[in-house]
Amino acid sequence: MIESVSFDKITFACPPRKFEAGTPNIEGALGLKQALLYLSQVGLPAIHDYEKSLHDRAFLQLAQFKQIKIIGTAKNKVGLLSFIIDGVHPHDVSSIFDREGIAIRAGHLCAQPLMKRFGVQALCRASFAFYNTYEEVDYFVNALKRVFEVFKL
Amino acid sequence: MNDILDLYQELIIDHARSPKNFGELANKSHHARGHNQLCGDIIDVYVLVLDDKISSVAFSGDGCAISKASASLMTESIKGKSVEDVMGLFDSFHQMLTTDSELNSLGKLEVLKGVRQFPIRVKCATLCWHTLNAALAQRTDEVTTE
Repeated sequence: MIESVSFDKITFACPPRKFEAGTPNIEGALGLKQALLYLSQVGLPAIHDYEKSLHDRAFLQLAQFKQIKIIGTAKNKVGLLSFIIDGVHPHDVSSIFDREGIAIRAGHLCAQPLMKRFGVQALCRASFAFYNTYEEVDYFVNALKRVFEVFKL
Repeated sequence: MNDILDLYQELIIDHARSPKNFGELANKSHHARGHNQLCGDIIDVYVLVLDDKISSVAFSGDGCAISKASASLMTESIKGKSVEDVMGLFDSFHQMLTTDSELNSLGKLEVLKGVRQFPIRVKCATLCWHTLNAALAQRTDEVTTE
């Protein structure tokens, strides 16, 4: 960042170094590189197809519960499944899932205008990544039944 | 692993489903609105204080089962009490949720004791009390749990 510093004067290096204060996030950059290499090796099309199959497996099972409304049903979706359970606030859903060993996102998802658009206060959201398995999807669906049990739905 | 039923006891589900004293108060002397910024729970607490005692109390708003049940139980527990006693009750309730202390003078409020095993839900349970506090102190700044 600097060229020279004294108690009464400072001179700066030329841009872009002028704007680089301290040690850059070197390990972060190297880690990112490895992550990108890994993704390339696995193959983004393969990842996309697999995540879609995870999502679809969950979607088809959730669609059978009358207590659940799935929010966001666009044709080309990534592996995200947002839903609301009738009469149960998403934070209650997430506490119950937590005890079943499952982490979902719950709340306004940093998207309050979208919540308003869908006419909800908050949502539950499950995200599927290429390291998830079909067994885990089934386990997730099973955990929903625990929510129904606790709230007598 | 702490059982989820320690948190969602039947009494809590009942209070969340059919909260007591739910709605606005036609005759009120104090009111405040509270907001849990982390999750969006909103609550309005209305109180009628006569002779320094809680004559009537009601709440309205939307939120999770814990916040609704806590508000419902709160309104039941403070009716007829003096403002000073209510403040003491808030302290004890807060202690029950955040420490290991074994208090046994909280009556029905003790059903929320399970919340202490779920630290992230403590603010759901205390929002109504923070709001009540603000109403009684007639504060006009925003009431949050932060």
